Amino acid sequence: MICVIVSVLRTPHSSVAVQMRGKRKSCRQSYSSCLGASSRLGLKPVLTGRRLNTSRRAPKSHSITEKVTPEQLALLLKTEWKLSYVTPLYQFRHTQLRSYCRQLSAFIAAEKQQGLAVEVEGMQSGYRVSFSAVQGMAEADDDAETVTIQIHSKSMLAKQDEPEKLVWSGWLSCINGNPDYLHSLPNDFTCLPLFGSSGQEVFTFLVQSWFQKTFDCCFGPLEINHTSLQWLAALWTNCHTESSIQHLKLIWTLPVEPQLQITYTVNPQDAWSLWSSVRKDPEEENEGEEESIDFEEVVRFIQGLKNHFYKHFRLDLSAGTLKQVSTALGSAKYSGRIKISNSRYMITTLTLLTEAALLKMPI
Amino acid sequence: MDDTTKRLLHRLIRRTSTEMLKTTLGKWGRLTMAQRQSLDFTQSKSALTEELLTLCEKNGWTVKNVAELEMIHVIDNPNQGMWHAYRLMDPEDDACSVELTQFKERFKTHLSEVVRHVSVKTKKHTDEAVWIRIAWGDTFSRPNHLKPTYVVYHLQTPYVFVTSLTSKQKPLLSQALILSTRYQGFKDANLSGRKLTAIRDLLMKQYPLVFPTNFSSPVAEKDQTMSNPCIIKEQDGLEAKRLQMARGAFGDGVLPQLESAVYKLETKFKDQTNRIMTEREEPFRCVVKFTSTNLLESFRQCAASGIVSPPITPLFSSIPLKGKNYFALKDKTLGSSP
Repeated sequence: MICVIVSVLRTPHSSVAVQMRGKRKSCRQSYSSCLGASSRLGLKPVLTGRRLNTSRRAPKSHSITEKVTPEQLALLLKTEWKLSYVTPLYQFRHTQLRSYCRQLSAFIAAEKQQGLAVEVEGMQSGYRVSFSAVQGMAEADDDAETVTIQIHSKSMLAKQDEPEKLVWSGWLSCINGNPDYLHSLPNDFTCLPLFGSSGQEVFTFLVQSWFQKTFDCCFGPLEINHTSLQWLAALWTNCHTESSIQHLKLIWTLPVEPQLQITYTVNPQDAWSLWSSVRKDPEEENEGEEESIDFEEVVRFIQGLKNHFYKHFRLDLSAGTLKQVSTALGSAKYSGRIKISNSRYMITTLTLLTEAALLKMPI
Repeated sequence: MDDTTKRLLHRLIRRTSTEMLKTTLGKWGRLTMAQRQSLDFTQSKSALTEELLTLCEKNGWTVKNVAELEMIHVIDNPNQGMWHAYRLMDPEDDACSVELTQFKERFKTHLSEVVRHVSVKTKKHTDEAVWIRIAWGDTFSRPNHLKPTYVVYHLQTPYVFVTSLTSKQKPLLSQALILSTRYQGFKDANLSGRKLTAIRDLLMKQYPLVFPTNFSSPVAEKDQTMSNPCIIKEQDGLEAKRLQMARGAFGDGVLPQLESAVYKLETKFKDQTNRIMTEREEPFRCVVKFTSTNLLESFRQCAASGIVSPPITPLFSSIPLKGKNYFALKDKTLGSSP
């Protein structure tokens, strides 16, 4: 059985095919095909193929702290999460979270007995799993509430008042998911496309296996690609006047042997000045509409940084790969790791990542 | 045997490979022949540590004895830790005649004058370098042997290499060095790296830099003799030019292994496509750091493959030419350091 799960994890594409043939209940419609259909019907202006939105709302200083409890926010902030995408969950119920806690605990215990290496120091008598829904995180009406999962280890030798040790945590989220796509899903499916995990890999594997078995979904790695990294650099810089970014740091690697890494750290005020200089004249935008940011502006911003760099070093950064972007508001890595340090702009970041996760899903 | 001695020995054994430990202990010469022969170097590290700690107790080794063992190890393995280069400035007339014994005596005396509790150990290495181990204390505390500073000074030269020096200790070391070497100033050379040999070679220009001069072009000549000039493609010509440029800036041979270079830029924003920023009076402040396992080799490859456009910026070629890897740039005084 474990063997099967491994293959499912490694090859999401083929596993979907298998599931479709076998059970006929997996969600067939992909995000991109939905986008294609809607743009043909003229519902959306210009959305071509599998691309991120080319325009997004400027981050508002969200009063998320008023909607979500500080304890629940703390669960999501300041931890570096490894991201994955998840296909829609079949018959997932937010009302059943208590039962899921029991089921997942039992699943982990059973897998452990079968000899799957769960390496934890000391004597373990078991694991306690907790699921909870984060009330108030959802932005749009169609977004399913974010769910957090935590695994604590219970030690046999621990004294009664000793706190249990947190060995793994994760979450599933959907923030501002594309409404056309979400509406196109059959009723029995819940879309929480973004999965973040932190802790021992073996627990990530077990949690994913249980989700796949229980909700007939599949997981795959989610990188934060070049485009998303550029978006984050611009979106975070755009916040500087409200909440200092401290610095804008971008890391590139260049394909020479031995590999060359370039860390470009820009003064926050100067990064903001450059960002303002590439913004479109506000008068051009329609009045009354929310302030929006176009990808064109993002490109001009990054290109400006590259041009200034080239003037000094005669080295074109476009020859390399953008690997990492960080500011005091958060950090994002190409390898699919994200850390959000400030709750005020969490929604903006998660909106972008939700979109990226929906795009990454296999057709 | 006090706790510090034990901890120092324990830490040293942990950091050293068994093979290296055997050699170092041999050079140290504080184990009797019988003790050396009875030591089993095939046993586990922890068992070996226990055995050596017992021997330490039995032989009554002091913290100074173990510090000497550490020093032998560091001298044999200089490419660890972060080394910073400094330069002595304005020599007095008699600076070039300072001898080893004279220097050692003076240095100890001068340092003890400014620091109440300090433990100094010096050793002369084969390559004319004097190695100094300083354990710092202050008015109230005894020298801390667990956080020593290492100083490598090449006699009769202005070059000093230092590792693990705090900003508080810097003026003290500077004063003792100036007085004992007969120089008048002590300046940061803006060069640092993990490989002492590499930064020493860069600063003292001890590596085979084969710089073709501007007037000859050996690559072009070679091309002509080797193949028919009629069939030399433009492509080859470009590639040859790039190669020549790479060699021109970084030489032909093996390059000193430097890990990083930092440029602190406070220059006017330069981008013709951005009028607002280019017309701005204030400088654009940023820090650019290049890192690689062998930075100069990476730069040479960048130049050879065309990632860096010709001509190579002096910002890169200054690293081997000036022996620096930290640059602070401001407009008008381009290339100057703080």
